[in-house]
Amino acid sequence: MMNTTIQPSRGRFLLDRGASMPLILPATVLVLIFLVGPFYYMAYTAMTDLSFANPDQNGAFIGLDNFRRLVRSDPIFWGSFWLTIRFVVAAVALEFVLGFFLAWLIWRFIERQRLLTTLLLVPMMLAPVAVGLIWRLLLQGDFGMVSHYLRQVGLLSQSSAVFSTPSLVMPTIIAIDVWQWTPFVTLIILAGLMSLPRSPFEAATMDGAGPWRQFVDILLPLMRPIIALVLLLRGIDAFKEFDKVFIMTGGGPGTVSELLSIYAYRVNFKHWNLGYGAAVSFMVYLVVLIMCSIFYKAVYWKSAAERA
Amino acid sequence: MNRSYKILAIGILACVLVIALTPYLWMLLTSFKGRLDILSPEPTWFFNPTLSNYPAVFIDKDYLPLLYNSLAIATGSTVLSILIGAPAAYVFARASFPGKEDLFFFFLTTRMAPPISIAVPLFLFFTTLGLTDTIYAVVIAHTSFNLSLVVWMMRGFFAEIPKEIDEAAMMDGRSKLGAFVRVIVPLAAPGLAATAVLCFILSWNEFLYAFILVAFEGRPLTVGIPGLITPHGTLWGQVAAVAVVATLPILVFTFLVQKHLVRGLTFGAVKG
Repeated sequence: MMNTTIQPSRGRFLLDRGASMPLILPATVLVLIFLVGPFYYMAYTAMTDLSFANPDQNGAFIGLDNFRRLVRSDPIFWGSFWLTIRFVVAAVALEFVLGFFLAWLIWRFIERQRLLTTLLLVPMMLAPVAVGLIWRLLLQGDFGMVSHYLRQVGLLSQSSAVFSTPSLVMPTIIAIDVWQWTPFVTLIILAGLMSLPRSPFEAATMDGAGPWRQFVDILLPLMRPIIALVLLLRGIDAFKEFDKVFIMTGGGPGTVSELLSIYAYRVNFKHWNLGYGAAVSFMVYLVVLIMCSIFYKAVYWKSAAERA
Repeated sequence: MNRSYKILAIGILACVLVIALTPYLWMLLTSFKGRLDILSPEPTWFFNPTLSNYPAVFIDKDYLPLLYNSLAIATGSTVLSILIGAPAAYVFARASFPGKEDLFFFFLTTRMAPPISIAVPLFLFFTTLGLTDTIYAVVIAHTSFNLSLVVWMMRGFFAEIPKEIDEAAMMDGRSKLGAFVRVIVPLAAPGLAATAVLCFILSWNEFLYAFILVAFEGRPLTVGIPGLITPHGTLWGQVAAVAVVATLPILVFTFLVQKHLVRGLTFGAVKG
């Protein structure tokens, strides 16, 4: 609105092209060296047989063999891949539904939100390592506080522990991720709800539309960009999940909770099979990059265009 | 009718709050418990508190340097990211040049990159430089992702400063750098502070880069905690003590930047 009255002026402007370059260059160079460099190095290593565990494999170029092996004959990779996808879908879906509901409750019923939202934020601001430790302590077999109450209500049998019962491991990890990240969804959806215009709702009320119709026909469409944003950001982060699971189960028992990044860690830093490990890492990167482009196209370009 | 809905809503939110906070509270309590209270099969909510876990781990087990490392790494990478990132963000907010939005997106992809993918080459690279097991390696690694956060967040804050202020500052006869430092930076100070705090939090909480790049000397707290867990006889009181020290400052910081948190977490896409 302001833009129509204030004409962009030329000339007496802090930045001409000569001044922009030195300001933007250091950041660009640093990112190039420390992120893009490693990326290309990873792509190259993925095409070699480099391994620190086997002296015969000293990094000879083998083309796309690693990728062929990965895609065609590595059941552990595929198991891990689908496990990660199932984890992301389940965790993000639950976080979204729950987080949206809480945000709506706060928006609709609570006037003084500040303290409440601050307290809600605690789980997501803790270091993920600390979250892993807290839950490991709570779910200890012999003296874990949550284990104790789970047994009392009959959800856990007397002598077993959650993280050594394969069928319970992934649901528990998903529940803990939901515990940690639902506040993130709540916080951002709440910000979106607070910025909604009032007039469409008032008009709808005058037309006699009930709360449910208003929710479906007005609120959801208006919130669509923010919903897409939340789902993508959470999706990308969940896909990269490492810290918590590494601390709580290390991927076990067996490979029951071995998410992709933990599998990548094992191949690289336990087996020291760096060529093949780079191929695994590359696949992780690829998926994240695709999600990231969707994020940019779907969510960001609009607000970026508004700002420009 | 409306009133009873409200009571129901408050009831639900209160339950959620209890679920959200109890695990952390339990960790806090555990850090003040003696061995017997921790290992009791019945959860002990009331007990004789002891302070012994803190000196036991920070002094006897020599974990104090880890706290120092955490501080140094987070401060170092925050300062570096702001110094390098803020000017770049200003350019993105004000200048126009071909490929600007592409370059901007490129900064985002670096923030999103999975650490596990970047860590191996970075590890080999720092090994060549002889920097592994120093805090410098971690500072640089953290700067690479914090830098893009600064660029993305600060662009929005700079864009909110009217362009006329730039012009007025220039007419005052200041040099370009002088105008930026004396006029623009103070106006963007609240945003700058919020961004800095977020950078600090992200670096302080980060685990994987630090875990791979430093083994012993340069370890921050996040890397040190898992080392206290042993298959048999983990001293949970001490683990909890370290975890409390590693998380409490962050919770205080969160309180400080809450107003700008939404913006930081969504890379500026939602103003909050």
